[in-house]
Amino acid sequence: MKNKKNELIQMAILIILGIAMILSSILPRIRIHNTLTELLEVSVIIREEDSSLWFNTRLGMEQAAEELRVELRFLTLPQANDSRAQIRLLRREHAQGADALVVVPADSSQLIAALTEQNLGCPIVSMESQADWSSPFIAPDNAALGRELAMAALEDWRGGSILLVNGCRSSTGLAIRAEAAQQALLQAGVRVQLETAEKEGELRQLMEETDASGVIVFEPALTEQAAALKESLESEQLLYGVGVTTAAAAYLEKGTISAVAAWSDFVAGYLAVESAVQQVKGSQYQVEPLSFFVVRGDEIYDPKYQKLLFPFMS
Amino acid sequence: MRTLFHPLTAKIVDRFRNMSIQMVISLSFTAVAVMGVFCIGLSLLLCFSDLSKTQAQESAQRLLAQVNLNLDSYLHRMMRISDAMYYRVIKNTDLAEGTLASEMNLLYDENRDALVSIAVFNSDGGLEGAVPLSGMKASADPAESRWFQMAIERMENLHFSTPHIQEIFDDPDHRYRWVISLSRYVQLTRGGNTESGVLLVDMSFSGISQVCRNVELPNSGYLYLTDRTGELIYHPRQQMIYTGLLEENNLKAAGYPDGVHEEEFQGTRWQVVVKTVGYTGWKLVGMVPESGLIGDSDSLLPFGASLLLFSAFLMAFLNFRISAYISDPIRRLEQAVKDLEAGCESIEIEETGCYEVRRLGRSIRSMVSTMRHLMDDIIQQESQKRRSELEVLQSQINPHFLYNTLDSVIWMTESGRNMEAIQMVTSLARLFRISLSKGRRVIPLADELEHARHYLNIQKIRYRNLFDVRITAQPGTEGLFTLKLTIQPLLENAITHGMAGSVEDGLICVDARREGEDLVIDVTDNGVGIRPEIVSTLLDENRPALRTNGSGIGVKNVHQRICLTFGRKYGLTILSEPDEGTTVRVRLPALNEAAAEHYRQEDSL
Repeated sequence: MKNKKNELIQMAILIILGIAMILSSILPRIRIHNTLTELLEVSVIIREEDSSLWFNTRLGMEQAAEELRVELRFLTLPQANDSRAQIRLLRREHAQGADALVVVPADSSQLIAALTEQNLGCPIVSMESQADWSSPFIAPDNAALGRELAMAALEDWRGGSILLVNGCRSSTGLAIRAEAAQQALLQAGVRVQLETAEKEGELRQLMEETDASGVIVFEPALTEQAAALKESLESEQLLYGVGVTTAAAAYLEKGTISAVAAWSDFVAGYLAVESAVQQVKGSQYQVEPLSFFVVRGDEIYDPKYQKLLFPFMS
Repeated sequence: MRTLFHPLTAKIVDRFRNMSIQMVISLSFTAVAVMGVFCIGLSLLLCFSDLSKTQAQESAQRLLAQVNLNLDSYLHRMMRISDAMYYRVIKNTDLAEGTLASEMNLLYDENRDALVSIAVFNSDGGLEGAVPLSGMKASADPAESRWFQMAIERMENLHFSTPHIQEIFDDPDHRYRWVISLSRYVQLTRGGNTESGVLLVDMSFSGISQVCRNVELPNSGYLYLTDRTGELIYHPRQQMIYTGLLEENNLKAAGYPDGVHEEEFQGTRWQVVVKTVGYTGWKLVGMVPESGLIGDSDSLLPFGASLLLFSAFLMAFLNFRISAYISDPIRRLEQAVKDLEAGCESIEIEETGCYEVRRLGRSIRSMVSTMRHLMDDIIQQESQKRRSELEVLQSQINPHFLYNTLDSVIWMTESGRNMEAIQMVTSLARLFRISLSKGRRVIPLADELEHARHYLNIQKIRYRNLFDVRITAQPGTEGLFTLKLTIQPLLENAITHGMAGSVEDGLICVDARREGEDLVIDVTDNGVGIRPEIVSTLLDENRPALRTNGSGIGVKNVHQRICLTFGRKYGLTILSEPDEGTTVRVRLPALNEAAAEHYRQEDSL
């Protein structure tokens, strides 16, 4: 009996040691294998048809993608601000296996409604405007940005009204900026004209027809367009915008644009992908609003601004 | 502490005491082997970790030296461009008579892969010449630039700036390019007079980046470049640092002298390899994380654990087999002995296992064999005893003897010899009574002599006084005991073989005496004697039994009974001379009452 018990103990010891040995040799390989194959797919869908304005953002996204092992797909819409196309694209990307989606909503309310109707089941990170109240939102404080831009305009204001131009009515982020700027200007006793310029030619018409002493636009694409129009129209209006592309920087340097509210697009892109990855992994990820600054033409070569404004192309 | 460990130690000792030898050997050897393997593994790991560290340091230093060489070469190329611009172009050009443009263009074209622009400024910051862009920005004020001021302040040196956006010239393509500026004080010639000026060579940042990029330090390490104050010039994740997404310990690293240093930054231990780039004072900093170099790396620890477990498995397996090799034969021996104890006779004692166990098995087998032989002997002896006793009993009812005796009684009665008949019958009755002796084997010597006497009386009557009889017991034999029916068979033998053929008056003497601790009884006849070759075989155990007309109990039977009862030193001795007579000497132990009682108790068992 004792002999049988001893044999059982010995057998148990050998089996335990054998299993432990096999596991210790196999598990690291499985982990390495999992690490190697764990390539997340993240699709980025912006609301424009041209992604050149998102160059710096894309650099940040690619940096995060490289570090976090993400396969990045950067998609534009066939037509700018086409919300339905954007929703279709979101569903298609999800169906094709995207682990997470980063979206710049063309129409926040439609997107929220669509997501409420049919939950995609994968994490969504929104930029500029919030697409899903429970998802991470990468943007500066839009209201504060609108107010700061209004304050910059007030510093230069010498009388007259100020034209506020929203490039996308359905974008809640842009709407918040515009409304906040409007409020700040109205509180300062400035007459405000709030308009929308979604289609080609509308901005030109507005700028030609307005008698406002200043114009404020709330998105990078419109900022470039407004600066170009101002030069072509040889307008004396003061122009304020959002975002610094290389063209916008040149306009800023020349004085065509008086000031822009800007933030690091690189940081925004990086944080968007990082938060998407953290969402996929189920980690808690708190995103603070991006810090922004208002910069004028004579400040762009300030070391602290040039590092943020101009991508470091090595 | 001692009181804490004592119960534990006692428990372990107690547990071990109750374990089988196989478990004790297995567990002890396995534990010692695992500890040994663990110690060896640990020391190997430490050696390996030291070696890895050293190799990583050497590798990083070699790579940094190579990058330093390339960087030095690149900067010297820039300095040669600057020298060529100054000594070949500026020195040879009088600005009052000509421009620098054509020569500058040539120089720029030769090195356009590494350059963004070349420009010459007068002491007020006014542009004297520039390629490829020549239009200054309206807002540009070179005299206020740091590179300009450094060149003016330290005229003898060449000055390298940190990376910055090229801000002097207007680019129609709105390109804002990162450059590193190399500036120097120059003397311009204008109308034969010399003026102060500044030569600016803007190097493309990508040139520096290409030198430093794709350098892979051990263990996913990286390198970066700072100026002497710690400001970053190149970093593989420069944009992340600039935007605040990442931090680097560059300010501290810039203070390190050349060599290898260790530091902890943001919870990670690093090997920091520092190399100063000649002339510029820039610092190349190699960062190698220590965590992956040594034992806690993702692959080494599991590998070490796997190796340790494999060794433990192997050791345990070997120890179990070895302990089984030692203990199994012992266990089988134990079982065999138990079976023997239980009375199982068909047990085979194995001689397997290691040398000592084989010897033990051999000893047990030998012991068992001896026991079996002894038991066989005992059984055989008992069997012989029983057979002898049976023969004695049979002799008492030998039909011939009884028939002849009774026939003699009848004959004597018929012939009126009543007294003799009565004597004969009386002797016969007495003979049988003593023969029975209540079944005792050991009887008083006196009874045995009386038995002999009665027997001789009967035989004398039968043989018509053919022989005389003399029975004597010397003093000292009183109270001694002897084996029953010892003398009668000898007398029968003497009458049958000694007296039968004798013509003279025969004489049979029975003489009992004490010799020390022995009782000696001589039965002597003066008959025909026995030939020596027959004498020597009479007591042979293997001699076939001869049936006689007497009682049937031979001399050999008496001898065997004495030997079986008292041992081989006792028994019969036959002394005979042909035609002289024969003496059969019986030697027995001198048994007193107490000793005789001992044998009687044995009989009762």
